[in-house]
Amino acid sequence: MEETSFDKNNALKVRHLGLGIFAGAIITYSILFFFHVSSESAAMLMIFDFLFISLIFPLKGKFVKKTVLLLVGNIVGVVWNNIFSLFARATIFYLGEVFNIWYLMLNPLLNLVWIVSFWSISLSFLAEPRNRKGSVKT
Amino acid sequence: MIVEILETLFIVLTVLMMAYLIRHYVFTLTVINHAHKRKKIATMENTTIQPTISILIPARNEEKVIGRILQRMMELTYPKNKMQVIVIDDGSTDDTGKIIGEYAKTCGYIQAIHRKQKDGGQGKASALNTGLRHAKGEIVFCFDADYYPQPDILEKLVKEFIDPKVGAVQGRIAVLNEPQNLVTRLVALERIGGYRVDQQARDCLRLVTQFAGTVGGFRRSLLEFLGGWDESILAEDTDLTLRAYLAGYEIRYVNDAECYEEAVESWKAYRKQRYRWAKGHMQCAFKHSLKVIKSSNLRLREKVDGLLLLNVYFMPVWIVFSWIISVPLFFLKSSQWFSMLWTSIPISLYSFVGNFAPFFEVGIGAYLDGRTRAQWLTPLLILTFLYNIPICTKALADLFISKLFRKNDNHWAKTSHSGNGNSYIMN
Repeated sequence: MEETSFDKNNALKVRHLGLGIFAGAIITYSILFFFHVSSESAAMLMIFDFLFISLIFPLKGKFVKKTVLLLVGNIVGVVWNNIFSLFARATIFYLGEVFNIWYLMLNPLLNLVWIVSFWSISLSFLAEPRNRKGSVKT
Repeated sequence: MIVEILETLFIVLTVLMMAYLIRHYVFTLTVINHAHKRKKIATMENTTIQPTISILIPARNEEKVIGRILQRMMELTYPKNKMQVIVIDDGSTDDTGKIIGEYAKTCGYIQAIHRKQKDGGQGKASALNTGLRHAKGEIVFCFDADYYPQPDILEKLVKEFIDPKVGAVQGRIAVLNEPQNLVTRLVALERIGGYRVDQQARDCLRLVTQFAGTVGGFRRSLLEFLGGWDESILAEDTDLTLRAYLAGYEIRYVNDAECYEEAVESWKAYRKQRYRWAKGHMQCAFKHSLKVIKSSNLRLREKVDGLLLLNVYFMPVWIVFSWIISVPLFFLKSSQWFSMLWTSIPISLYSFVGNFAPFFEVGIGAYLDGRTRAQWLTPLLILTFLYNIPICTKALADLFISKLFRKNDNHWAKTSHSGNGNSYIMN
């Protein structure tokens, strides 16, 4: 009985992972095709998609929910990058090229802010609450 | 010429960081794949071994918490006629000795060892060695004074000793006072990454599972063969882990065997504790790295994992170093593309490996534990990373200075406990 449930879980994981790769490819392609994304931003989006698809899609939860989260994550990434690149352009105009160097150096770090935040929010949506709520049962 | 040297250094450091990143990614994947699997081990009903056990509890000025764990020792479900609890009062100046004495009077299997004030305070390893000399059980367990184990923890842990290759076993550490403040919440997240994912994956992949110095047990015969705890090393647990593996034994991790700790409550206490861990780990790296490479008892994957484990506390220092190198490279390299790539890699990677458990690992661990709101604090783990940079750098600098001047400056900075964890225990 336990063995059957394990096989079922495994099959579901593989199916979600396979479909996730397919959905991820479509989302990434659409984002890169329809939006103007710099090469560094595209690299960060791909890192996010890779981690999201390989680590979150095999988890329990509805496939649609995971796909929507992946799509929203990509949109957040694009918006975040566009806002920062506009901010950088404006600052470079006033402060000169020195700021551009700072921006290029800190860009991946800034990208991690949305990646890590979105990652934790996504997992909190998917998790089934259990265990502690502030106290340890004895 | 300078550019080439910088580039080579940078590549070496980046490869190191990538190695840690890949290791943690593999750990996370492994735990996801094992989430629904149950370990195929005998249940308690058909377990034939129920060895005699000695539990060592070192305590120095722990009057606020010692009563809690001793009370818990009386509530453990393991047969009392097979249990010996040895509490080592390590020269306490408060009421710890008195409390231990009272418990020893009322409970036959609790034994108190009082060290004089001039002998005490030499570190946990020294206290544990004193306790080991009085231990009679086949398995020697260790618990810190501020810990609070599940009542059936010993049954869960002891099963693993069915396998004769298993020299030691480690249970899971969770944070008791997690809701107290930001520091305790972040420590709890680190613990989730470290135990729910890291230790679990190492156990599944048969790599170097770490004995954490508490919530775990060793075969007494092995401990005596190894000569007990090394008192000259600040991370006596990591040292023992490596010595056990080098002797051809394995350590198992049991995720179900939970024990709650009172985590450090302030950034100052966090600094003191991590400094000790960092310096101790670095001492172990110098002591064992070559032995691990040469060992004939370890498989290749154990060697690789052992080396990565030993050197983990150097990483915050190397990451900063690589970032410093990348800045001149950014200017000196002619190709913009190259410069951008060079600069972006270490900055990105620090976020992955910075907290010794990258964000995706902590997140998956919290998910598997069914933690929802705890997830939201994951981005703030950057604070602990930033804090670990000066801590690890100072530990490395101090170690070099002490080696240079041949000074043995191994002062054991004890973590003090407030007893606030009591309010989180629900009867």
